[in-house]
Amino acid sequence: MNTYPKEYDLTLKISRYDPDTRRSWVQGYRLKAGRILRFVDLFRKINDEQDPTLAWNSSCEHGQCGTCGMKINGRPVLTCELLVENAVNLFKTHTFVVEPLTVAPVIRDLVIDMEKAYEKVHFVKPYIIQAASQPPEGDEYRISPRVLESYVEATRCINCFCCATACVTQKNYLGPNAVLANIVRLMDPREMAKQERMDILYSEQGTPRCRTAQACSFVCPKEIDIAHFIALAKEGNFR
Amino acid sequence: MGKKLEIDSVLRPEVLVIGAGGAGLRCAAEICERRPGTSIVAVTKVYSPQKSHTATAQGGMAAVDPNDPVDKIIYHMFDTWKGSDCSSDQNIIKQVCESAWEQIVWLERHGMHFSRTEEGRIAKRPFGGHMLNFGEVKAFRACYEADRTGKGIMDTVWAESLRHGVEFLNQSVATELLFRNGSCIGAIVFMEQNGKFVAVLAKATVMATGGKTRMYQVSSNCRQNTGDGLALILQAGLPVMDVEAVQFHPTGIVGPGILASEALRGEGAILRNKDGEPFMERYAPTAKDLAPRDLVSRCIMTEIREGRGCTHPDHKLPHVWLDLRHIPEYVHKTRIQEVCGFFCKFVGVQPQFELCPVTPTAHYQMGGAPTNESGEVQKDPQQIVPGLYACGEFAAASLHGHNRLGTNSLLELITMGKVVGETVATFLNDAEDPGDVPQDMGEHVFGQFSRYLESDGDEHYAEIRDTLRVLMTEKVGVFRNEKGLTEAIEALKELKERAANIRLSSKSLAMNQELLQLWELDHLLDVSIVIADCALARRESRGGHAREDYPERSPEFQYHTLAYMTEYGKVTLGQRPVDMSIFEAKGEHYEKFGIIERKY
Repeated sequence: MNTYPKEYDLTLKISRYDPDTRRSWVQGYRLKAGRILRFVDLFRKINDEQDPTLAWNSSCEHGQCGTCGMKINGRPVLTCELLVENAVNLFKTHTFVVEPLTVAPVIRDLVIDMEKAYEKVHFVKPYIIQAASQPPEGDEYRISPRVLESYVEATRCINCFCCATACVTQKNYLGPNAVLANIVRLMDPREMAKQERMDILYSEQGTPRCRTAQACSFVCPKEIDIAHFIALAKEGNFR
Repeated sequence: MGKKLEIDSVLRPEVLVIGAGGAGLRCAAEICERRPGTSIVAVTKVYSPQKSHTATAQGGMAAVDPNDPVDKIIYHMFDTWKGSDCSSDQNIIKQVCESAWEQIVWLERHGMHFSRTEEGRIAKRPFGGHMLNFGEVKAFRACYEADRTGKGIMDTVWAESLRHGVEFLNQSVATELLFRNGSCIGAIVFMEQNGKFVAVLAKATVMATGGKTRMYQVSSNCRQNTGDGLALILQAGLPVMDVEAVQFHPTGIVGPGILASEALRGEGAILRNKDGEPFMERYAPTAKDLAPRDLVSRCIMTEIREGRGCTHPDHKLPHVWLDLRHIPEYVHKTRIQEVCGFFCKFVGVQPQFELCPVTPTAHYQMGGAPTNESGEVQKDPQQIVPGLYACGEFAAASLHGHNRLGTNSLLELITMGKVVGETVATFLNDAEDPGDVPQDMGEHVFGQFSRYLESDGDEHYAEIRDTLRVLMTEKVGVFRNEKGLTEAIEALKELKERAANIRLSSKSLAMNQELLQLWELDHLLDVSIVIADCALARRESRGGHAREDYPERSPEFQYHTLAYMTEYGKVTLGQRPVDMSIFEAKGEHYEKFGIIERKY
């Protein structure tokens, strides 16, 4: 039967912020943890055993909602998917710096103003702005699997904002995930408002701000090749 | 004590939606389409509505396509009735199954990215319990978006809500329902991030707060599913229905509780105990590891209870093993890659070479707030609460009775969400304005929060939470019996007292998750004792409710359980008849809708 190795001795250096006193600091926590605990389990363990005041957010903890994104040793990840053992192997250390994502102001500790970050996604109108003429009553649109295949990867985005945190362009840019949401509807045959979407895509806050560093694709927890879709836009594929 | 608690501001939308997941937002979209310009405030407990738990559903939505040459709506209705162990309501089954395809098309036309057939139509796949010809052969009935159907629904209804200008209160919770002369006129909402209380006065209030199974040790539910909606209903003196019916999936991945699908056992995976014994052979010599979900769950729990389980050293949870090592490499690579990936990602195990830790996981609540077929919340089987509506997993109309068929939950979200939207849109036409702010508004919730803030006891939150989870798992979980349930009820009363003596480390109101956890713990304890009481009263086994001391279904209990709780532990039970209108109409095939056996 399976055997498990011993526990790891870990140090977490966590960014703290108290909105009541507006004080920021870094707090170190030492804890022992088994190899397959996830970082969300570590935060819970800190809350349970050491410090109930540490604030952090998660929801599904299945890697499907994109709530628990944080920077671990500088790299944006979903902390529900990061196992202690994998983190030790990846970063070659037992000390981890934990910081909130940088896409919105911090509310407290690791919790950010997510709605502020979402404003960019709202801006690109993730719905169908103007629908193609509808098929007869009771019938769905016909979309060939080949057509769907060309953009289905982009529909897997969960807006965790890891890419936007990793992106080298931090100012006046919609960010990779919002650009991607716009591209999905540009490639969606049901969308008629292509011009409005092109105007968003090539606006001053759009793809011209991308510097092709491909950090978005590198960090995406869903392994979506975001840079590929942005490259399609840059090549003028949707004109 | 610190700051005085007060209402920071008053919002007056026409509609308040509590819980902005698939059902709540499908409802909001319907209201906006029927009555453009309707002002809606939607409250969500999560970071942003797109993060709702609906997004984690994988499989699909059952719907009979009128273009399908072999499938018929009556087969879907039959499967749902049979699956429910004859305790769902036939008026709801008919309404939901008949409107299923129309709602699939609604989603598709609003931009959901369904998987497609070669002809470009919505693809469909088979799913457990969905059959043609009244149980003869598998039906291709589940419409899906790859393995992320829930996300497809969530993204679509969320985007539609944005289009229509629904206003969201994110990371916020409804803490008290407001009533005037018996009508619901809104709720007091606590905004976790800034610590402010807001009164939302609305003509109509829709509750769609989802599931509740966080009182179990292992659950597939998200962190926020702590039974808040049901607790609010109970606090308002209203009943909850069939809460004893909790669905457990036999093979949850230890720790996160994610489902390791039956597909693995379908491909030959074997359950083993700590000695490596393939124990299912002992319980079900023929079906072995492919026995029905509820049976497999009970066998795993028996192994654990009799000391043949393991304890996971990291997660400190009891479990057995799922062995996939003998399955050929090409099957690993082609047919079960996705699910095996979960083991790799969440427990660091390579299923091709190592044993995988699994344990039954609390997955779904069949019961909820009782509603009629229009989604109006009932205070008893004859009367509704004006202005209060419910849909989704939170509501029990009831489509599922005591057991839910896979893919019927997503279907319920969109069909009943739409129905409630329709009902509310009509109601708004001559609904009265909620009027002035009620005099005693906030008394209850401020009292509650003051208790949390002022408590000076020496109990620990984590200890009570963990004790509760072990208790519910062992005594009110997969197995139930009179002794265990009676003990659980007594133990819950003691836990409730202890919970009042937890001292907060920080008295701040803003983004104080410890404060919110106490509020949640109260709700978990409230709902848990009602589950235990209902389970004790139902001296039979039906669907997700399994009594060791009464292993058979009994005609004596052919009704829905209603439960009210006026003070902690004082549970009053009632009954609602099971609607059998299809059977009683004596139409074609009516005999299939009588009291039938649930055998597959």
